[in-house]
Amino acid sequence: MLLGIDVGGTHTDAVLLDRSGLLASAKVETRQDDLLQSIHAALGRIRDLAGEVEVQRFNLSTTLCTNAIVQDELKPVGVMVSAGPGIDPENFRIGDHYEVIRGGLDHRGEEIQALDLDQVEQCTKRFLDQGLRVFAAVGKFSPRNPEHEESMVRAISDRAAFLTAGHWISGQLNFPRRIATSYYNSAVWPIFNEFANSVESSLREHHISPQLNILKADGGTMPLSQARRLPVESIFSGPAASVMGLMALCDIEEDALMLDVGGTTTDVGVFAGGDPLVEAESVELVHRPTLVRAMKTESIGLGGDSAIALSEDLCRVGPRRLGASLACGGEQATLVDALNCISEETFGDRDASIRGMREIGSGLQCSVEEAALRVVRQSCRSLREKTMAMLERINERPVYTVHEFLESRRIEPGKLYIMGGPARLLAPYLSREFGLPVVVPDNAGVANALGAALARPTLQAELFADTHLHHMTVPVLGRQERVSRDYTLKQAKRDLSEDLCRFVRDNYHWSVDESEAEVVEESAMNMVRGVHTVGQDIRVKCQIKPGITPDYEGVVKCICKELPTG
Amino acid sequence: MYMQGVANRLGVVFFPAFDWAISPTHPERQERLLYTMDQLKEEGVFDIPGIEEYRPDEAGLEDVRRVHFSFPDTESHLTPSHLIAAGGAIKAAKLLREGDADKAFALVRPPGHHAMKAVHGGRGFCNVNIEAIMVEYLREHYGVGRVAIVDTDCHHGDGTQDVYWHDPETLYISLHQDGRTLFPGSGFSSELGGPKALGKTINIPLPPRTSDEGFLHAVDEVVLPILEDFRPEIVINSAGQDNHFSDPLTDMNFSAQGYAALNQRLNPDIAVLEGGYSIHGALPYVNTGIILAMAGLDYAYVREPDFDPESLRQDKRTREYIHQICSQARQSYFHPPDSGISRNMEDGYFVRSKEIFYDTDFITERQREHLLDCDHCSGLLLMESSSSRLKNCLGIEIPRGACQRCQSAGQMYFDKAQQNESLRNMQLIDRPGGAVRRFRRE
Ligand SMILES: [Zn+2]
Ligand SMILES: [Zn+2]
Repeated sequence: MLLGIDVGGTHTDAVLLDRSGLLASAKVETRQDDLLQSIHAALGRIRDLAGEVEVQRFNLSTTLCTNAIVQDELKPVGVMVSAGPGIDPENFRIGDHYEVIRGGLDHRGEEIQALDLDQVEQCTKRFLDQGLRVFAAVGKFSPRNPEHEESMVRAISDRAAFLTAGHWISGQLNFPRRIATSYYNSAVWPIFNEFANSVESSLREHHISPQLNILKADGGTMPLSQARRLPVESIFSGPAASVMGLMALCDIEEDALMLDVGGTTTDVGVFAGGDPLVEAESVELVHRPTLVRAMKTESIGLGGDSAIALSEDLCRVGPRRLGASLACGGEQATLVDALNCISEETFGDRDASIRGMREIGSGLQCSVEEAALRVVRQSCRSLREKTMAMLERINERPVYTVHEFLESRRIEPGKLYIMGGPARLLAPYLSREFGLPVVVPDNAGVANALGAALARPTLQAELFADTHLHHMTVPVLGRQERVSRDYTLKQAKRDLSEDLCRFVRDNYHWSVDESEAEVVEESAMNMVRGVHTVGQDIRVKCQIKPGITPDYEGVVKCICKELPTG
Repeated sequence: MYMQGVANRLGVVFFPAFDWAISPTHPERQERLLYTMDQLKEEGVFDIPGIEEYRPDEAGLEDVRRVHFSFPDTESHLTPSHLIAAGGAIKAAKLLREGDADKAFALVRPPGHHAMKAVHGGRGFCNVNIEAIMVEYLREHYGVGRVAIVDTDCHHGDGTQDVYWHDPETLYISLHQDGRTLFPGSGFSSELGGPKALGKTINIPLPPRTSDEGFLHAVDEVVLPILEDFRPEIVINSAGQDNHFSDPLTDMNFSAQGYAALNQRLNPDIAVLEGGYSIHGALPYVNTGIILAMAGLDYAYVREPDFDPESLRQDKRTREYIHQICSQARQSYFHPPDSGISRNMEDGYFVRSKEIFYDTDFITERQREHLLDCDHCSGLLLMESSSSRLKNCLGIEIPRGACQRCQSAGQMYFDKAQQNESLRNMQLIDRPGGAVRRFRRE
């Protein structure tokens, strides 16, 4: 039996299911000041509905870390960076305790300047004197050669409650992102760790002892042990949960778009050939770009409760929200009110909506229906324009080979999946505006919790080998070894997929077949000195991609009936 | 605070063509921009607010034909990579003119500044002149007039010089290692442009081992005063990086710091990568320096691991020689000597003969060029060309802003030449008409 809980901004949703389908679902209000209590309440409800059950896996999606970062409730972190030449690392200063240590590597990972261990020691002492307990150690080009980071780790670790080394986060090159991500990882650790302890004891109170996993921003899960090491990966799991929920509910096989219409915003997700788009460089935290792998989603500042603003003979919808819609007892006409005037289905206090739209209509010198129609069309147009701009940015992404330039596949959505409160009302108008068939899945109300419950582990790792230097490394898996001149791309691909699967088996308690490790990028380039080939530069990126837990595919499938276009 | 704000919004068109090489161990090979990419990604330059990375466009054949006489035809000298490199430069220009960026850097390969007006093959790793294709695109589509190209590649940009030899609207200034010591063996102080564009080509042949000081002296004392006088609408840096102290093909002492300072002072609207083959020790740092300088950001810490300004310092003799070369170059622009004009005339045409060697493809070409001495425009150009592979070719160009007489003379020549049995390949570039005509005798 699987349990999924999604702690969202306003509601906490929980679902319980087994291979026969959904057994129970519950919705409680989220108490932002006490997320644990919200989880507790949701668990209680589920138990009331389903009684004592044997839960094997419990997947939790929580805003805990996101909130801590956005609301600046972070613990102080001692950050040490070693940089070498390039952009002045002062530019990447983060937090109140940041020190640049002398030492540096070049782009191949070769040492330019030895790490100043005396400075590391003095800096550690100073940080400890300042009462710091958590640290981050980040070196430039550490994915190429983690040695400087490892040295810092060795120097600090005995005296640290928690520590993040940059190369544990990602094998991707991006020093400023690695610094920010490592900092946030350490800064949220004290909060996350305490939370994790409380959740575990809370489960004991409920007499269940499932394997506990945390949902990540990329739509995959990680076991709690791994989450305690990389808590930053749990940020922005909400949009990922809704994408996964959609995957659980509908068979998506083509290029498609997901529009999750909330109160104030609409989250847009993109599917390419049925797979959700995941990116390593999409998440920004407090204006700092990070290396957290995440579902490629964008938030458009327009939702059901977006207020209608009237100026001259134009009306604009969003991005402001001035409270609930009139239909729900609010004070200002919103998109939902406009929909309420022209839809067959009604929502809340329809008369209030009509009164509001009449006022807008008189401003525009037109009837209630016409005013409502204009507002709805305007909103749909705005959603389409912003969605298409996002798609264009994805399709116009830089490519680095002639082959990719000439052959790269464009994403061309053939279907629109709409979720969220006003989904059903908005669907026909969005369909007409986008010129695409639309699906509004059933059960969309608990899609996020379903997505959390049914998500499976994901992992990505990069391998880099320089056969001229006889060096091979897989930074996030901590592998580093000597290879011969004859090491090949083929071997590299095999090594990496084996490593990835082994890591998942050993650390995620999840049996994974090597066929599931998908090579997403590979290159091997001859390194030439003078006129001689002296080695190869080999790079492989491998992933276990997001998906629905095997054996549970289809158990909550909705009848994805397409609405007629227009 | 994460990164200071940029002074200029910079668009970087990055296309390293990781699957393209002239040959496996050629300097112009797959690996060339690999470490530059690593450095740029690790520095996070594309995350800096105001610096944006773009995908190149693909240039069309018409964009190439607008610039070059290609024999036997345009297609035979091109791979997709050439069209993408040229399209990268075009994209840079578009970013500027469409208001998406204040400045743009086309970090693309292969390069183009050795490709001349007539093309029979590859020269100095270049098949088509990507700057010239970009400049003429700007003129055709955005009505740009005066353009200055400052070529800071270590090799003389003989191709760009040749394309613009007769164009008074294009100022071409080249800083390079003295042609007596390096390919292509040209770019002397006396090369000042054709009779109708005298002083619009300026060469500053620098001695071997010129360092940052010498390059910056040339920029301050020659390039900037000339630009101020010429008042171009657009300044382009033909940004080759083979004058670096670690470059394997050349003998100069320029550094990443020097390169960044040069771009800060020159303040180009567009930079286009040309040569540069020290792929580990120079390119990652030089390109980072150029990007930061163009965006108006601090670049003080961008230096090569083995950078030692003491060992790269110019000696007194070199410094004095550079000062002398520079004052001569400055003089040549402001007071071009009469002796610089070829007085060789035939029936009202200026005549010039040239021999050109294509080192990459091992071809020799002979040219005889006629430029109509017109009082109303820069003059109709006729170019007879024969190469060791292809004989009896003819190129005719009716230049931008050509007068009525030159326009009809050009059309008439092309029509008549088709009746001349001995001519096998012909191309007419009609800029006022926006058309290209080709004729090929089987
Ligand atoms: Zn060069
Ligand atoms: Zn004329």
